[in-house]
Formats: sequence, C-alpha cells, structure tokens
Amino acid sequence: MKPLHFVTTHEDHRIALLAALAITIHIIESAFPSPLPGIKPGLANVITLFCFIRYGWKIALQVSLLRVVISSLILGSFLSPTFLLSLSGALLSLLSLLLVQWPFRHHLKYQPGAIGYAIIASISHISGQFLVAWYFFIPHPGLFKLLPIFISFAVLLGLVSGIITQFLVEPHKASPE
Amino acid sequence: MTNAPGSGTIHFKGTDIIIILLAVLLCVWLYFSLWFGQAIGKADTLIVQIDDQSPTEYSLKNDRLLKFNGRIGTSLIEIKQGKARFIHSSCRNQFCVFHGWLTTPGDTTACLPNRISITLKGYASEYDALAGER
Repeated sequence: MKPLHFVTTHEDHRIALLAALAITIHIIESAFPSPLPGIKPGLANVITLFCFIRYGWKIALQVSLLRVVISSLILGSFLSPTFLLSLSGALLSLLSLLLVQWPFRHHLKYQPGAIGYAIIASISHISGQFLVAWYFFIPHPGLFKLLPIFISFAVLLGLVSGIITQFLVEPHKASPE
Repeated sequence: MTNAPGSGTIHFKGTDIIIILLAVLLCVWLYFSLWFGQAIGKADTLIVQIDDQSPTEYSLKNDRLLKFNGRIGTSLIEIKQGKARFIHSSCRNQFCVFHGWLTTPGDTTACLPNRISITLKGYASEYDALAGER
C-alpha cells in the first residue's frame, strides 16, 4: 500500500507552529486561578495578534480556530458552554480587529500598533463572551452590572498583552528575514 | 511615538493613544450607565413568592402596601414610585428590611424565615433559561 503523502507548504508549517504555541499557552493559562470567572490574562491572544499583524487575518483566523478547538479537546471542554464562549470571543475579537484595520488598509501609518490592536481584541473578546453568556446561559439583567468590571480588566490586560505583542512583532521588523 | 520601533522600549502610535482614550471613556460610561443609570430598563412588575405557592405579580404603577402571611408571621411590603421594599417582617434578622429599596429589574430580596421572596421584573427580564428566575 502506498503511504499517504501530503504536500505541505511553508505556510502550513508556520500555522502549525504558531497554533501549537498558542495551544500551549492557552492550556498553561487555564491552570491559573482567576478572581472572577471570565477574567484571565489572555496570553494566547498574543499569538493571534502576532499572526494578524505579521501575516494577515487569514492565518490569524486559522491559528485561533485551531487553538480554540484543539485546546478544548485537550482540556475536555469541546462543545461545552466553555467552548462556545471561547469560540465566540475568538471570532468576535478577530472580526473587530479586521473592522478596525479595514478603513486604514492602504494607510499603514494610521493603522493601530500592537497595543491598540490588543486592547480592541481584548474588549471585543470579553464582549463576545459576555453577550453569548447573557443570551444563552444567564439571561438575567443583573448580569450587566458585571460588564464594567469585565471591560476594565479587558483594557488593563489588553494593554499588557499589547506590550508583549509589540516586543514579539518588532525584532522581526528590524532584522531581515 | 517617542522611540523608534524595534528599539526594545514600549512605544505608542498615535492611533494606539486614541484607542486607549476611547477604551477608558467606554469604561467610565459603562460604570455610569450600568451601575448608576437606568440602562438595563425600568422595572414594572413585582413578583412575590410565598412559601411553595405559585408566584403572584403586582404592578409597580400604583403605590400601595401589601401584607402577606408567611410561616412565622406577617410581612409588609411597600410599593412606591416604581420601587419596592420590605418595611416590616416578623423575623429576627430583618435582612429583608435592611436590604432597602429594590429599584432595577432582577433585584431580589427574601425573608427566609418567613418564606417570602420578592423580585422586580422589567421588560428585559422576560426570559430566563438556566437561572430559573420566576
């Protein structure tokens, strides 16, 4: 029998590598305790941001979908509410990154830097999760009293992950590939 | 902005600063509208549950006093200007009375010894799948 042979491109390898990194970070992070359910550093998002800034949204989408699906399989939360929250957050944050980038797609100068992107990503990530949680799981108006706290943490943690992303993105800018 | 990219220091682009300012403004606005405002809708109904009877609804439009008999005695609930509160209950702790006014949909308080709980409802809290609010 002929062994199966797949032709893989350089891009596939890059996606696999970045997704593996993101999954590792995601799983390590899921072991951290958190003060409020839903608040966590979101360091796995650094990889998504890095992909988005360096390689564009298509690769970022593939990496973040792979991250969400595979880490949920490993953690045993595949297709559970947690998975749904994770997926909706990831998708909405990528979508809003695209929406912010789109008006400036021909004006690199005016595009946000890593920090701006990170804050937008974290705010939209938590908003997406929040809306799904509110709509499907806890449709109680009292839940909205938590939203300001979530958004405040999102801004702070987004700033932190943005700074990390900046350090990741920029050595590449300086050195020729 | 002040340092060149790739110099190993934290730097902000102009757009980043605008985004940070907008994000902080969003936070402030959310605190004001969701914690101190009426953004989550106005309550229009009071739901009273006594013991294991089915819950009864009272409109918040008319100011009045409601008197209920629970397990250990009577509880007096006041409805005034779209708000509701316990003003008297024959329990020892008086937690329900000290809770004060219920003002927004979803606000709940209860007198557990007397087995009476009250909840405000607005148009926004019509559906509740998992929490099982009544």
